[in-house]
Amino acid sequence: MYRFKNAPKLLLAIALLMANERAYAFCGFYVAKADAKLFNKSSQVIITRNGERQVITMSNDFDGDAKDFAMVVPVPVVLKKEDIKVVDQSIFDKLDAYSGPRLVEYHDQNPCDMRRYMAESMMLKSSSRVMDDIAPSQGLENYKVKIEASYTIGEYDILILSAEESGGLKSWLLANGYKIPDKAEEVLDPYIKSNLKFFVVKVNLGEQKKAGLNKLRPIQIAFNSPKFMLPIRLGMANSDGSAQDLIIYAFTQKGRVETTNYKTLKIPTDANIPEFLKPKFGQFYKDLFEVTYKKDRQATYLEYAWNLNSNNYTHCDPCAGNPPKFNEFKEAGVEWVTAYQNQEQYSSRISDYDGEVFFTRLHVRYDRQNFPQDLIFQETPNQDQFQGRYIMQHAIKEKITCESAKEYYGQVNARRKKELMTLNTLTGWDVSLYGSYQNEFANYASGSKTEVKTNSVKPKKSTKKSVKTVKNKSDLTSWGIGLLLFILSISLFISRRRIRE
Amino acid sequence: MENIFSCILGHMKTKEIDPIQFLLADARHLQILFLSAFLYYGIRYIGWEADWQKFITIFSTSLFSQLLFCKIFNKDYSALKSALITSLGLCLLLKANHVYTYAFASFVAIASKFIFQIQKKHFYNPANIGIVAAIVLTGDAWISPGQWGSTAILIFLVGSLGVAVVTKVEKFDTTLGFMLVFFGLEFYRNVVYKGWPFDFFLHQISNGSILLFSFFMITDPVSTPNSKLGRLIWAACIAVLAFYLANFQFVNAAPVWALFFLSPLTILFDKLFKENRFNWRSKNPLQPISNTLPTI
Repeated sequence: MYRFKNAPKLLLAIALLMANERAYAFCGFYVAKADAKLFNKSSQVIITRNGERQVITMSNDFDGDAKDFAMVVPVPVVLKKEDIKVVDQSIFDKLDAYSGPRLVEYHDQNPCDMRRYMAESMMLKSSSRVMDDIAPSQGLENYKVKIEASYTIGEYDILILSAEESGGLKSWLLANGYKIPDKAEEVLDPYIKSNLKFFVVKVNLGEQKKAGLNKLRPIQIAFNSPKFMLPIRLGMANSDGSAQDLIIYAFTQKGRVETTNYKTLKIPTDANIPEFLKPKFGQFYKDLFEVTYKKDRQATYLEYAWNLNSNNYTHCDPCAGNPPKFNEFKEAGVEWVTAYQNQEQYSSRISDYDGEVFFTRLHVRYDRQNFPQDLIFQETPNQDQFQGRYIMQHAIKEKITCESAKEYYGQVNARRKKELMTLNTLTGWDVSLYGSYQNEFANYASGSKTEVKTNSVKPKKSTKKSVKTVKNKSDLTSWGIGLLLFILSISLFISRRRIRE
Repeated sequence: MENIFSCILGHMKTKEIDPIQFLLADARHLQILFLSAFLYYGIRYIGWEADWQKFITIFSTSLFSQLLFCKIFNKDYSALKSALITSLGLCLLLKANHVYTYAFASFVAIASKFIFQIQKKHFYNPANIGIVAAIVLTGDAWISPGQWGSTAILIFLVGSLGVAVVTKVEKFDTTLGFMLVFFGLEFYRNVVYKGWPFDFFLHQISNGSILLFSFFMITDPVSTPNSKLGRLIWAACIAVLAFYLANFQFVNAAPVWALFFLSPLTILFDKLFKENRFNWRSKNPLQPISNTLPTI
């Protein structure tokens, strides 16, 4: 982060304008071989960072013909064969399931008989697919393009190119059947000037057939670089102008990852939402993100942050999917964790690994207009945990008639009204369509004559919890402001009195 | 709220003090007002967390440390206003997991004014050294350069309010020197040399953190060199170092580090370019500090 690697050197820095620039870390996105097919609207990336060591795993929702897939990724160094791996798509599915926004359900306690149901949790599946491609190589001299290395790994043919100028690189890519949109050129030049290499991937159809693969698997690259960033500009050149979604799963040792050249905001969370959203939860979150995004288009959004330290006994709360295990960490490129040795004690331990791991999930919706720069990250010591969590409180299904029933139904009505307002605020849905939801128990609450039972039990006020928290917070706020003003006025008063004296 | 205001105003009236005159009598009054406004803006409109524990810790530690040091070393209690500015600076910039870290940063910030001084002039910006100490020594703190985002409105807000403060303290030259050199180098490197489109550069210069640094941190009239020429060269040095750190060492929040490394140069520049010291309450900056009288 802010740590200096060469502190003494830095002190002499004034005259070092001419110093050589070090190559950066880079991962860029997809360039089509054929025209429109490959426009990838959503991609997923796993980034792990340990000192200067960085491992990037890229997955994309490309679903065209494998022979049409092509990918160009700017990288800081000429990668060796052992630095490139093909991994299984399941790692993305697991991380997605584990960290996705979650729906939590609670069931009201029957105010008449104290029965109680506990919650189950459900998670939102966000789509994720694989990417695919093919690989060529043709005459180079005229284009001032050099093939630094060439490998076949798994089902992919990989070339690592270096170029002297963007025009040559562009012409070479076009001559070799890669479709480069016009806008790409404005990005290639700065990348070449930054001394980056280009990691070019296509699918080797023969290998793919041999392996019997239908879908393209994610590619993982590893390198050392002082710069912690992700190039999205090349991907934008590929886009048709509309915004693209990128989910970033970041693993670090110390704490949360955030962007330094864009705001990192939290998605709205801990909201009570109506019961009828259960089958529509995916759509609900999609619209929630849309509304949140529209409020601030120049930001990255935090969807999940959790301390997965082997000593932390709560690896999720509630768990939408299983927390990652040792093997999955390895697959994701989290190289610094070690397998837990003491197997006898394993049963009493939540994790089968040893090590410090902090997991951050960021969601970025980017386009050319709002994201003129690549994403630059920093690892902070921030250990605060965060999750997108939405609470559904189910009313009692069977009709109840005890003394508390009236009060209970009154509360259900009131909370349902709030839920609909929340839904409207979060997603912009027209909630007037759901009047029946709010009024479902209106008759019982106001007009119905319920039998009086002496042993009635007060309804469980589970929904009150969040309300209470909010109230406390606002109390604290007013206290805080009061205290600050108090200190302020006292100090001003004292300082003025002293001056007079 | 109204009661508090009417109480303060009432107090001023009985003492026959014009609130406007009071506000303008000392540049620090304006600075306190503006920094508070930024904090409010961040919490209300950008969505920063209102961490009251943090704010209370920072303010109380700073003010109590200042009181303590004033009692021991000198009796200039008007420095409490500077402590308020330092506190606001820390609230705006510093982040940490624990309140102890905030307390530590606040204490170091205030203590530095009394420890790192030559001929009764401190040469570290208190908030700056507090932040650096917390990050390096505790490992629990960080700065979020992206927290302001980049919006045109913010340029206007921070810029114009900032100008008001710095012109009031007559040290606009520091801001100008720093911004011209830093943005000039960034422009040359990214737009002219590398060929990034212009909005790349625009995004960079409209970052709220860099503007806040240029207008409010580097301009601290006490810890900057006394002479105009000295200040200009000093600001340019910081800009060059910040540029180098950001572009060649990939350091985030580079200006904050550059200021920290080069603050001691103030002593050297004061030796090279002789000039009388700045005094907060003096209408004439050339007036020696011992002869100044409170303007209110």
